[in-house]
Amino acid sequence: MRWIQNILNRLRSLFRRNNAEQELGSELRFHLERQIEEKVAEGMTPQEARRAALREFGGVEQVKEECRDTRRVNFLETLLQDTRYGLRMLRKSPSFTFFAVAVLALGIAANSAIFSVADAVLVRPLPYRDSNRLVVVMEDASAYGFPHDTPSPGNFADWKLRNQVFENMAAIPYGGFFNLTGDGNPEELAGKKITANLFSLLGVSPALGRDFRPEDDLPGAPHVAILSYGLWLRRFGGNPQIVGKEILLNYEKCTVIGVMKRGLQFPDRETELWVPAQFSKEDLSNHGSHYLLVFARLKRGISLKTANANLATIASQLEKEHPDSNAKVGAFAIPLREEVTGDVRPAVLMLVGAVCFVLFIACANVANLLLSRATGRRRELAMRLALGATRARLLQQMLTESILLSLFAGFAGLLLSLWGTKFLASLIPDGLAPMTGTGVDGRVLLFSLVVSFATGILFGIIPAWHVSRFQLTFSLKQGGGQSGVGSGGHRLRDALVICEVALAIVLLAGAALLIRSLQNLYHLDAGFRADHVLVMRTPLPRPKYEAVARRRAFYDQVLAQVESLPGVVSAGYTTWVPLTNDGGATGITIEGRPEPASGNLLIPNVRVISKNYLTTLRTKLIEGRSFERGDAEGKLPVALINQSMAKNYWPGENPIGKRFKLGTYREKSLWITIVGIVGDVHQAGIDVPARVEMYLPYEQQNFGYDPEYLAVRTSGDPMALTETVRQQIWSVDKEQPVAGMMPLEDLVDENLASRRMQASLLGGFAGLALLLVTLGIYAVLSFAVTQRTQEIGVRVALGAQPRDVLRMIFSQGFKLFVMGAAIGLAAAFVLSRALVHLLYGVSAYDPASFAGVTILLAAVALLACYVPARRATHVDPLIALRYE
Amino acid sequence: MTKPTDLVQGTLDLLILKTIALEPMHGWAIAQRIRRVSNNVLQVNQGALYPALHRLEQQAWIQAKWGESENNRRAKYYSLTRAGQKYLKSEESNWERLSSAIGLVLKTV
Repeated sequence: MRWIQNILNRLRSLFRRNNAEQELGSELRFHLERQIEEKVAEGMTPQEARRAALREFGGVEQVKEECRDTRRVNFLETLLQDTRYGLRMLRKSPSFTFFAVAVLALGIAANSAIFSVADAVLVRPLPYRDSNRLVVVMEDASAYGFPHDTPSPGNFADWKLRNQVFENMAAIPYGGFFNLTGDGNPEELAGKKITANLFSLLGVSPALGRDFRPEDDLPGAPHVAILSYGLWLRRFGGNPQIVGKEILLNYEKCTVIGVMKRGLQFPDRETELWVPAQFSKEDLSNHGSHYLLVFARLKRGISLKTANANLATIASQLEKEHPDSNAKVGAFAIPLREEVTGDVRPAVLMLVGAVCFVLFIACANVANLLLSRATGRRRELAMRLALGATRARLLQQMLTESILLSLFAGFAGLLLSLWGTKFLASLIPDGLAPMTGTGVDGRVLLFSLVVSFATGILFGIIPAWHVSRFQLTFSLKQGGGQSGVGSGGHRLRDALVICEVALAIVLLAGAALLIRSLQNLYHLDAGFRADHVLVMRTPLPRPKYEAVARRRAFYDQVLAQVESLPGVVSAGYTTWVPLTNDGGATGITIEGRPEPASGNLLIPNVRVISKNYLTTLRTKLIEGRSFERGDAEGKLPVALINQSMAKNYWPGENPIGKRFKLGTYREKSLWITIVGIVGDVHQAGIDVPARVEMYLPYEQQNFGYDPEYLAVRTSGDPMALTETVRQQIWSVDKEQPVAGMMPLEDLVDENLASRRMQASLLGGFAGLALLLVTLGIYAVLSFAVTQRTQEIGVRVALGAQPRDVLRMIFSQGFKLFVMGAAIGLAAAFVLSRALVHLLYGVSAYDPASFAGVTILLAAVALLACYVPARRATHVDPLIALRYE
Repeated sequence: MTKPTDLVQGTLDLLILKTIALEPMHGWAIAQRIRRVSNNVLQVNQGALYPALHRLEQQAWIQAKWGESENNRRAKYYSLTRAGQKYLKSEESNWERLSSAIGLVLKTV
């Protein structure tokens, strides 16, 4: 029971603090008065008695403090008291408070925003059941230039049948656009064909209706589809009656059997619709066409290593069984997570590092300010010590103040990061847990809170520890003095500035390297000019355009009409414009060469184009001639090849006039004559070198894929012509969908988007660091000038010139800069190695970048030195000497 | 500002509890009584007395009430609680055991 009483007492003293204070005062006063009375009774005068009594009693305030200590709800009450006091202190110096909160808020905001990305990319499991058992299976066709190749259906079928390591395997064939007609506007939807077991393999199920069943996946089964939640809401108003209804997909009736659960984006963000793949028997025995994405679920307890060993065994069996198609084709699995996040992982790790640096710099800055302030508050603190406060108590109070600051900053930072995460969402690759609407959830909130606390302790502990240590008598004697430097405080401040400079150099160097990489990429000759080019797709629906003659007629007419438009320079059709397909390859056999050993098949990329396509993209003709009007059906079959193909397949020979055919040695197909060599075009990415590649005229070839991309070179803004071009297409076929109209430059931007994002983020953080360091140097020197006013006054009085004073302050500031820069450059030299994968065309030790950022920081440091140094030269010795 | 050692503190607690076991008393009177009864040997320092009183009150061994003092002024009177009486008894016997033990050691050695 006693402990209840104890708590009650403590609580009472907490809430009736004023009362308790009064009681304590009158209790002690009563005691004193009694003592005085006694002394008077002994014959002293009242004054003498009072003095003697006080002497006997000792420090009244100290006794009071000790009494208070006994009844405190210690932690809680001191916390309340310190908080109240801290708030008062912060209110008393609003400019300091504002500055410190702003600096920290920027640091915390950067951390919170990047955290939400890092959380999604690095930490959170994928949003599927037991997602760590999910893998992607790929072919290793390194021998043909495709180390991560998309598997063929035949291989997929055999893997699925023979493996002992996977619970299940599912596939998604290449392709993915569907025309939705019927009710409402015709619309092109991104959708995927999938094997019926895909969703159950992932462990997701529809929100409405049912999943695909094996019978839906048989060739010739009735058409069925599952809608994404987003499509269901957007196009069908979220009407649950949709299940069982028929819609028109690619002009054929198709029954909606379900609506997928909310937020599922598979295999990418764009996909809005799924239909069964319905592989035919022929498909499943085709080992030569590689166009699948294959997903699998490891059996429980099977490691990735075991799975890969099993896949390798099967792959070598298949090599023997199908030497034509499978020679030198391996197979391997990688975790789905790695496949999804692989590209952004290093970038996100880099950004996490960068924001930590920014936060450290912000902390160093605020710690510095606190140190300066603490020196100013020395007298107050000495007084507290004299009145019986313990050092631990002082430490606690100072820390409370700094944590208060950082909590304010954390709140402000969280608001800032709300705005930032929207911008960052594009850093998160498809297929990861989607971020919640605003980008801030409980985890980010918690993270920010923890970071705020940690920050408060981090930047508060050094000044607090420093302050709680100084000599009582010294401080009182100094009277909060101006010349009281002797405590080593300046050394601490200097060290903090040196750290700031070093961290900033590292950030700036990293940013410089990334920005130079980006510049290199934008100025890189990728083999085509993206400016003033409008691209779009006109996928020709079947069965309407089943006949090849009809398709060719369509292309001929559209090209003729579009090219006749004012403002159009030229136009061309192609199977794929650059940056839309990494592969698109087919095997060839060169005339006059012996039958290649299996595994030595030549597989160049192929693009089927119209004759003006290459000029439209400004791809250079190096030798020979381009396609001409005469290259028509029934005439001599011709081809253009790129430089890589010329160099690789006809080394030391002139390929013009040489002949090859599509397919294997024994295949009976027409010989195709090479008539020209064109420049290499980077198809797979601005930073990905070209593969061997050939171009065939659409008039002569009936290739598996339609040349559905139309590229139009314009004299003005390409987007100004969208409507007129569309009208021309519709004048040829008024039902023809026109999709994905955009400037080709957008594709380039999109291709470089993540690099641009990385560069601009790191650049932004580096800029922030630069700003903070400037402020840091400025603050330290300003403070030093104030502290040395007297000394400067003496020097001036003894004949020092303004020049000498200027030099003195500059050298103090610059010494800090030089030490910081030296440490920073050494660190940057080591750390930039981590950036290697993010760089292009620039060494991780690029001297120009390193020198550039050092000069930049030096210039800024000089500027930060200049203002306080100027002030020092204006010191009037008369005033300075009376300054105390 | 060194704190009294545990022995001293415990001893002071015992003295205070014993003193107010007779009747409620204020701080001044407690100090006076201890001094007088011990023939001026034990001088209780105020700096130790009041923190001790507050601590004992906090631990609910004694309770305080404001009342009129001998010369008609308000003073804070401390008295034993039930728990305090029990505690005093056990402390007294502890003390006797301890002091007689020390006495034995001093006599024999």
